[in-house]
This record gives sequence, structure tokens and C-alpha cells, in this order.
Amino acid sequence: MSRKRFKGWGFPALALLLVLAACGGGGGGKESEGSPAPADGGSSGSGGASSPVELGITWWGPDERHQATLAALKIYSQQNPGVTFKPEYMAWDAFWQKLPTLAASKTVPDVLQMDAAYIQDYVSRGVMEDLSDIDLSGVVPDNILENVKIGGKLYGIPLSHNAQGVAYNKAALEAAGIPLPKQGWTWEEYFRWARDAKAKLPEDQYPIGDAANAWDWFQWYQASMGKGPIMSDGGKTFNLDHDLFVKFHEELSALRKDKVLPPPDLSLSFLENDPQADPMASGKVMTRGGTVGSVAALESLLPGKVDVVNVPNGPSGGGWAQSTIFLGVSSNSKHKEEAKKFVKWFITDPEGGKTLGLTRGIPINEAIYKELEPNLAAKDKLSKRLAEVASEKAMPFYPAGPGFTEWVDFYKTTMEAVMFGQKSIEDVRRDQQAGAGHRRQKQVNGSAG
Amino acid sequence: MTHRTIAGSAAPPARSRFARSVRRYDWTGYVFISPWLVGFLLLTLWPIGQSFYLSFTDYSLLSQPVWSGGANYAKIFGGDPTFKKSLSVTVAFVLYSVPLKLLFSLLVAMLLNRNLRGMSFYRTAVYFPSLIGGSVAVAALWRNMFGKDGYVNHVLAWFGIEGTGWISNPDTALGTLVLLNTWQFGSTMVIFLAGLKQIPQELYESASVDGARPIRRFYHITLPMLSPVLFFNLVLGIIGSFQMFTASFVITPRGGPMQSTYVYAVFLYEKAFKHFQMGYASALAWVLLAIVAVLTALNFLGSRYWVFYESDGRGAK
Repeated sequence: MSRKRFKGWGFPALALLLVLAACGGGGGGKESEGSPAPADGGSSGSGGASSPVELGITWWGPDERHQATLAALKIYSQQNPGVTFKPEYMAWDAFWQKLPTLAASKTVPDVLQMDAAYIQDYVSRGVMEDLSDIDLSGVVPDNILENVKIGGKLYGIPLSHNAQGVAYNKAALEAAGIPLPKQGWTWEEYFRWARDAKAKLPEDQYPIGDAANAWDWFQWYQASMGKGPIMSDGGKTFNLDHDLFVKFHEELSALRKDKVLPPPDLSLSFLENDPQADPMASGKVMTRGGTVGSVAALESLLPGKVDVVNVPNGPSGGGWAQSTIFLGVSSNSKHKEEAKKFVKWFITDPEGGKTLGLTRGIPINEAIYKELEPNLAAKDKLSKRLAEVASEKAMPFYPAGPGFTEWVDFYKTTMEAVMFGQKSIEDVRRDQQAGAGHRRQKQVNGSAG
Repeated sequence: MTHRTIAGSAAPPARSRFARSVRRYDWTGYVFISPWLVGFLLLTLWPIGQSFYLSFTDYSLLSQPVWSGGANYAKIFGGDPTFKKSLSVTVAFVLYSVPLKLLFSLLVAMLLNRNLRGMSFYRTAVYFPSLIGGSVAVAALWRNMFGKDGYVNHVLAWFGIEGTGWISNPDTALGTLVLLNTWQFGSTMVIFLAGLKQIPQELYESASVDGARPIRRFYHITLPMLSPVLFFNLVLGIIGSFQMFTASFVITPRGGPMQSTYVYAVFLYEKAFKHFQMGYASALAWVLLAIVAVLTALNFLGSRYWVFYESDGRGAK
């Protein structure tokens, strides 16, 4: 009896080992039962408008956008009896975690929101339907339409004007007797302003955040100095200017040493738009980056205290202004015609436009924005103001090219080592020049378009 | 293990030998477990086989997998720096968290093994946190507690200590995760408690009569009698720690400061669902399986020298 009692532990241990280890081992492949790709191409959907159609639709965003979008879907169903929706909406992070698995299992909803940072990737993977045949003349300005085309084709309907700027805590700066950031400031003025401001701030408050581990800040710097984006040609060209890289990061390191920038362990604990951990909402940092689409959230955390200014300029401009949010149609949709009809409605219908408001930025359709303008809320006015201050000398939006997600991680990790003083900028420069981290990931099958 | 079934014995005489042997075999049991069996075959065994195949391919999720032979494995062992980094982070996590958790849960189990009034209340109270143990919500809570501006630093400030950002500092981030792992001691503790309950009381009594003090009783009775349970918990602990994912992924997003908490499972996940390298991720999964299997085999070999089975009568052999 006693033998059974104790020896008994051995066998379940072995059995459990197999099961547990197997579960972990299989994890990578679980989502991978891909059925052969349907032969896509110009094949249009059924288009049978009379029979009832249920369109799947997915988007990311804050709660306000969810509510407005749901209301707009209801209006569409009223105007088009027989069309109903199956909405799936979530926050930014969850969206981009979920979409790859949906794409792999060919279950991407008929209509999906897309972002400029990822659209090239998804187009090259064949997820997005070609929408070039939708007539948008008079709705979307021609130059914008040309700008957002990929390989001459339109894969996403631009929804709004977006732009990158810098938000600052106007109330706190005025209280500390610090002159407000000057519209049109340059990088030199930005760094000098930070040094001067720090002198008037208490020890645990900082004029600017530490952007060393954010690759896009360096890209703005490099592009504004006339050296162009880091990645171009859809990821085929990689161009990081090593001299500017060293100059930019040495400036940041000097500021960090003089406590103008927050200590690295504080910098890495910030979480934007979190009421407690947001760099500005927590009262720790006076400025941070913001976009037209996201600055409204900051305004609701610090009501009436936020104002905006441009991303520091260089000789070639500064920041970016472009449409970055799109509505697209999934290439494996069974209701492509209905879906195309809906995405056009989304930016043209006055009633729908009124319901959606500025929840996706400044509407791309001038006619709709004109109707909204008289009744803008404070946070919407801030979004509009950011669009104005940013567009003065704005450059285009340069996403990380397809296949460069690993390089972005590499940049973040190595620059964090620099922030904590465990690597010198010279080391990183040498690594970069030797090509470490920034070799483009092998893209299997080329572009599966 | 009775093999005769009513259906089997009542069946008419079989024609062929094969049919007879099929009929004689007892299928009833399989029918009873079929709900589980179907799930296991379709949702576990099939994907495992699939991932083994994929580990020899280049597969970006959307295009068809392309056979690449052992290229993925060659890349892993040919010095992928991220592989080395994530493996060393994981090994460090295992080395710290497994012994700590075992020690702590054994300690708590021994405290809860006493005969005190209201002990069932204490047991419930102590086990309670484990009910919510490994969830994302707890991880999110820890993220707030151990932030630069979190509760932990507020408490430390009362004593005049200025805490760092525990999860945003590369020196302390992994340690914080080890702490969280140790705090989730509940199930390990319950298994220890069950083992302690099974140690015959006579052994302690006779040892006491012979004058053995508590520490001696622990080393000479409790530990050997408990060694099979300890072994069980050790094996499970090592396997579980190698697969740690949630805490790292939620508390320290994107691998933490300087990738100091970039554990193997997170690396694997990012390869698969962020960088879309399913083939490489599958190969990583199989390498992890091999590592865990080898370690567990070594554990079983080593167990001969320290795990004591009462009835063997050959001491620690």
C-alpha cells in the first residue's frame, strides 16, 4: 500500500511532463492550419444586393470611437435594409495582436480598419482587396489619393487627416514661469528650451521625455536634416545616417546626464494615455509626442491644460502630416461589392459623418468637416489645432518598411542599453555600420501580392 | 482491467480472423473517452505534428510553407543572438524561481500542516490568491504595484528608501517576475500539504521518544518521506518556468528594459505573430521541447540518488 502511495507520484509526473511539454511545444503551430489560399485576383464577390448580407467589420480605437462607429453602422443598416454588421472592436495593441491570426486563418472580417504603419505589410501579404475602382473624386483630394496608393493601387480608403506634433502642459509651464514652446521651433531650439526649462523645474519634473529608444524620433531628426527616411522603396533601401545618429544620441545622452531627461528607469515606466503612468498626465514630463488622432485622449486626462506645437524642424521640415487611418476590404471577403459600397458610404454620407464626428481625426471629406466645424468640442479643437501647427512644414509619414519589425526591436533594445549606460553610442554606431540588426528579414516568396 | 464486454461476448461468431480480432478488442473504453480523445487528436496531436513539419519550412502565415530543410535549426544553433539572449534569460528565471518557489511553498505547507483551531480557515485564506494566480489581471496589478510610482515604492518611501522602477530597470525586472512567480505558490503548496499528511505520525512519535529535535526530525523523516512529492513539484516547476509567458508579456511589454525579461516563450510568440516567421517559431518550439525533455530525463536519472520510495527497502536508491 505504501509503495503505491508514493511511487504513484512518478507516473503522473511523467504523463504530465509529456502533456505539458507537448502543449508548449505545439504552441507555435497551433494557428497554422491554413487551407490553401483561394485564387484571388479580380474575382469580385457575389454582389447579390437583394439577399440579406452580414458584413464583418473590425477596428481599433478608444471607447468613444467604438460608440460612434456602432451608431453609424445602425444608420447604414436603416438606409440599406438587408445589410447587417458583425462588429469586432478593440484597443490598438489587441487589434495588431489579433489581426495576424485572423489573416493566417483567412477569417479577416469583410471590412477592416488599417494603419499606415502596417498597410504595406498586409498588402504584400495579400490580405487587402484592391479598391482602385471606387470613385472618390470630389471626396478625397487627388493628391492625397495618389499619396496613399501602393504600387499604383488603392488598398485602403483614407478616412482622415492625421499629423504628428508635440503636446505640452501649458498650465504647468506657465505656473513655473517657463516660456511656452515657440511654433516652428528647430531641433537646436528644442534642446536649448529643454535646458532652460529644467533650470526652473523641481528636481522630479522634466521638460522633455527621453526619445532615445524610439526609432521614429530619430527618423524625424534624420529626415528633417535632409537625409531622408531610414527605410524606403517598400523596405528595399536602408539608409541610416551614422553621423546624424551619433550627433542626435550624444545630445540626448548629455541631456540625460544633466538630468534634463528623466532617469531611464522612469522613462521606461511611462505608458501613454494611462491616467497614472502617462508622462504628461502624471505631471512628471512637460511635453510628449502626440498625433491628431490621439491628442484628444490627452486633453481628457488634462482638461484645458494642453496645447500643441510642431515636431522640431530642420532645414527639410519636421514631423509628418498624412492620412494614416484607412478602411479596407478583406481579399477573402464573400461580399466584396457590399463591403466596397459601405466603405465609400463611410466617408461620404452626411448623416454617418455627423455620427462619427472627429473620432478618427479630421474627416478627409471637406464637405463633412464643414458641417461639423461649428460644433466642435474642446478636445476636437485641440486635434484640429495640432493638424494646423503640424502641417506648416510637415513631411510625409515614413513607416518601418515591410520586414523591418526586427530592426525596430533591435533599435529599442540597444538604445535602452545606451540609456542605462551599458553601451556607448560609438559601440552602437559600430554595430549599425557592421549591419547588425538591420539586415532585412528574409521575405519568403517575395511579396505574395 | 477487464476486457470482456457485454457487446463483445454477445456478438455473433466472426467470419475473418481480422474481424474477430477487431471485435475482440475492447472499444467501449475509447467510446467513453471519445469526447476527450477527439479533442486531443484534432486540437493537440494534429497541430503538434503540423508544427514539426512547419519547423522545416519557411512559412509567413499567408503564403504557402516552403520546404527549407534544416535551415531554421541551423540558424538557431548558428548563433542567433536573440535565441541566446532569451535562453539565458529563461535559464536565469528557472534557476531563481524554481528553488525559491519550492522552498517557500514547502515552508507554508509545513505551517499549514499543524493542528491548530481554525486551520481550514487559514488554509483557505493562504490558498485564495492562487485562485486568481496566473491571470492577466494579476499581472496588470503587479505592473502598477512595481512601477516607479507604484505602491511598493510608496511603502519603501516611509522608511526613507527611494525605490527604483522595479519593472523598468534592467537590473530588477527579472527579479520582480521571479517574486511574482514565487507568490503563486498555491498549487505547489497543496501538493506538498497532501504529501505531508501522508507521512505516518508514528515515525515522528518514535523519533521524539528517541530524543530527535525538530530540525533533525525534518531532515531525517520529513525530507526523505516527502522526496517523491518534492521531485514531482521540481519536475513540474522546471517545465512550467521554462514556458513562462504571461508575466513577462503583460508586466514588461516587449521584453522589458533592454530585453532583460525576454523569455523564450515571448521570443517564440513574437517570431510567430509579430515577425511572421512561423517556421522559425515552430523550430524554436521543438528546441524548447528538446531542452525540457533532456532536463526532465536528467532529473529522473538524478532522482535515483535522492528520491526515497518507502517500500523499496534499499534506502535512497
